[in-house]
Amino acid sequence: MIRRWLPFVVGIGIVVWLAALVMLAMTAEGPQRFGELYLGILLVNVTGVIALLVLIGGRLADFVRDWRRHVPGSRLRGRTLLMFGGLAIAPLLLVFAFSVTFLTRGIDSWFHAEVRQGLTDALGLSRAALDLRMREYLDRTSRMAARLDGLEGSSLYLALDEELRSSGAEELIVTSAGGQSIAYSRAGMLHALPAVPPEELLLQLRQGRPHVSLQPAQGGGYEVLAATPIRSGPGAQGYLLVATYPVPQRLSDLAGTVQQAYQQYGQLSFLREPLKATFVLTLSLVLLMALLAAMYGALYFSERLVRPVQDLIAGTRAVAKGDFDTRLLRPSHDEIGYLVTSFNDMTKKLARAREETERSQAAVEAERAALAVILARLTSGVISLEPDLRVRVANQAAGTILGVDFTDAAGRPLAEIAAGQPLLAELHEVLQRHVEARETEWREQVTLRTETGRREFVCACTALPGDAGAQGLVLVFDEVTQLLQAQRQAAWGEVARRLAHEIRNPLTPIQLSAERMRRKLMRGLGAPEAELLERSTHTIVQQVEAMKQMVAAFSEYAKAPEMHMSEFDLGALIRQVSDLYHAQDPRVAFGLSLDPKAAPLEADPGRIRQLLNNLLTNSLEALDGRENPVIMIETQRVGDQIALTVVDNGPGFQGGLLEQAFDPYVTSKPKGTGLGLAIVRRIVEEHGGQVEVDNAPQGGARVRMTLPAVAREARRAEARREKA
Amino acid sequence: MRGRRWLILLVALSCAAAAFAARAQDAGRFEIRNAYVELVNGSWQLDVRLDLALAQAAQQAFQEGVPLTLSLEVEATVERRLLLDEDVVSMTREWQLAYDAIAERFVVTDRATGAHVSHATLAEALEALSRISGITIADTASLPEGQRFDMRVRATVEIGDLPAAVRMLLFWKSWSRTTEWYAWKVRP
Repeated sequence: MIRRWLPFVVGIGIVVWLAALVMLAMTAEGPQRFGELYLGILLVNVTGVIALLVLIGGRLADFVRDWRRHVPGSRLRGRTLLMFGGLAIAPLLLVFAFSVTFLTRGIDSWFHAEVRQGLTDALGLSRAALDLRMREYLDRTSRMAARLDGLEGSSLYLALDEELRSSGAEELIVTSAGGQSIAYSRAGMLHALPAVPPEELLLQLRQGRPHVSLQPAQGGGYEVLAATPIRSGPGAQGYLLVATYPVPQRLSDLAGTVQQAYQQYGQLSFLREPLKATFVLTLSLVLLMALLAAMYGALYFSERLVRPVQDLIAGTRAVAKGDFDTRLLRPSHDEIGYLVTSFNDMTKKLARAREETERSQAAVEAERAALAVILARLTSGVISLEPDLRVRVANQAAGTILGVDFTDAAGRPLAEIAAGQPLLAELHEVLQRHVEARETEWREQVTLRTETGRREFVCACTALPGDAGAQGLVLVFDEVTQLLQAQRQAAWGEVARRLAHEIRNPLTPIQLSAERMRRKLMRGLGAPEAELLERSTHTIVQQVEAMKQMVAAFSEYAKAPEMHMSEFDLGALIRQVSDLYHAQDPRVAFGLSLDPKAAPLEADPGRIRQLLNNLLTNSLEALDGRENPVIMIETQRVGDQIALTVVDNGPGFQGGLLEQAFDPYVTSKPKGTGLGLAIVRRIVEEHGGQVEVDNAPQGGARVRMTLPAVAREARRAEARREKA
Repeated sequence: MRGRRWLILLVALSCAAAAFAARAQDAGRFEIRNAYVELVNGSWQLDVRLDLALAQAAQQAFQEGVPLTLSLEVEATVERRLLLDEDVVSMTREWQLAYDAIAERFVVTDRATGAHVSHATLAEALEALSRISGITIADTASLPEGQRFDMRVRATVEIGDLPAAVRMLLFWKSWSRTTEWYAWKVRP
């Protein structure tokens, strides 16, 4: 803002200063003008000096501030300032000193003693020459007075005229003692009145002394005034003769010249010291103004000179910080301008290069994002690893399958992440084994043992290509436990269906044949044989009946029943079933922990009842003969899932049974079909839920199930089943 | 100790006052003692009496040969209703007092007419210079008899008859003294 108005202010200042100079010139017209104008002149000059000082002070303050803050370019500006200032100030001071000395000595030389003495001598000479004349004129006047003594009236007038002609006087006046004119005679101008004698002349004559003096003439030059009393005149005082003689023109001119020279010399002599002081003062003022102007100029031009360099430094710093859009204004067409142009070209090229890099990066990022999306959508787990088995990236499925949070895993060793993660730890062991064997391309089905059972994984590993050999590994894995179980389940279903079909058909004829044989042969046999027959046929019938039940169970397992979904209170169902079993075996204590929020469950209540029956039957059979048998049933709402847990304090799953708990015909009971948990699992999966078994920390078997509260998944599962 | 300080301060102030008084005395007395106009034979004539005593510096300069100039500014205005005052008279008259070293006389010259009168002593010359009389400022055509008008005069005495260039060079040095305006109303 200030900088924008500065040229106008400077312009106005120059105009005002010029006006002050004009005013200064006007003071020469007279003292009154000086009195009126000097205040204005003083004010303008003082204001100008103050303004200049303020400008210099402001720029100096800026400079000092920049210097202290180590602003780039301030050192260079300081050196430039010093150079400019030195170059400007030193000659100025030299010229000032020389001028002052020269002027003062020059002025002093005007007033040599010889000049004054010469003038004084010339003055004395002039006076001496005129004194001779004056003395002669006084004598002449005295003689005239003697001749005029006693004359009166017309004779006096005639005698005066005669004396005027003979004496060469210009005017002759006879006056009374009081100065009153009696008679006079004048050459040429008779009509003019006689001049009144000066009072001093009359006074001198009254004292009896003749008077002679040199008088400046009215028209220039000099004239001699001589006066003497006429002794014998009538009256007490007598008459006075006053004669005026002209000084010869040549002598008068010379005397006038001497007088003028003397006067001028005196004037100059009087002005000697003031003149010297004036010159020194004027020179000092000029020096001050020049110094201030030089300082301001040095500050201004150093700033102008350094500014492009400062801009270049600032631009370079901006480029260093990554701002390639910096463009500098070309200050001039010199080398600095060329440098600025080169800088701008450089930043343009850098900006272009950066844009290309950003485009490439964006493309890579897009690729990476697409890859990330693909990886995220993959149901298989993918872990990308560095050659030293540091995790590069892992997809969401990897974390879900392995139960590991890979959010902050990038850059961390896989072994470190695997600590406390049994699945990943085992996977890491497999991977490590292959790495140690320098196998980079391998595929393997891995069985990992966990607390909840055996889990099957299919793993594939490949090396990432790179410029310098392998740049890392990619491990792709998928859990196939459920797939294998489903396959196994399907196989068992088929087996069960065939078994039911192949076995059920001959069972009835066997039973009928046995009964018929008993009925036909019983009557013809003795008691021991009859008893043997009875026992044998009974055994056959009983075993056939058992086999029928087994076949019915297998048939039940094999067939896919129709689901009848409805919303019901799970808690009420649990209470109802547990009460029934409690009534059947009061010795067993039932502990229920039912979440009210888990009350509405959309499922097939008949199938859920069957699920509970199977679980509770299993538990009761496991608790047979145990002291303080307890069965705990717990429900809990977790999000849109309902968790159902059944725990008993029986012996739990023994040995490797846990891993095959859901397989059909796997049982630890002598009479069990091994289909209980298999059916449980099937019911849970039909409802879109999950089930897992383990041993509770305090002992006993624990079965944990999660069922969707709303049967969307169950319907989908049913649809899939129907489709199949 | 404190009293001595006050004493020193008092003495210093007294010295300063004395110096100032001496300087004021040295500056000489210069003012208009009285002035009046009168109608003489159909023209208004001005008489002015001055107190004119040269300062020591001026006397010294005068002895060196530097002439002395006395100028008299005269203004007469007629008051008008609803209009600015009319300047009827605005004139300046100058006299020069110089020492003629050849004649050894003090010469008073009327610069308007060129007429001069010489005096044997400076005192006589100053006395003659301080009695200004019979200056015609206007006639009855411009200032009719019976006209009410305002007069004011002021005098300036300047040492030296310096060339313009020298005067400009010596702008910082005051070479002149000017009296206050002496104003009065002329009412018939």
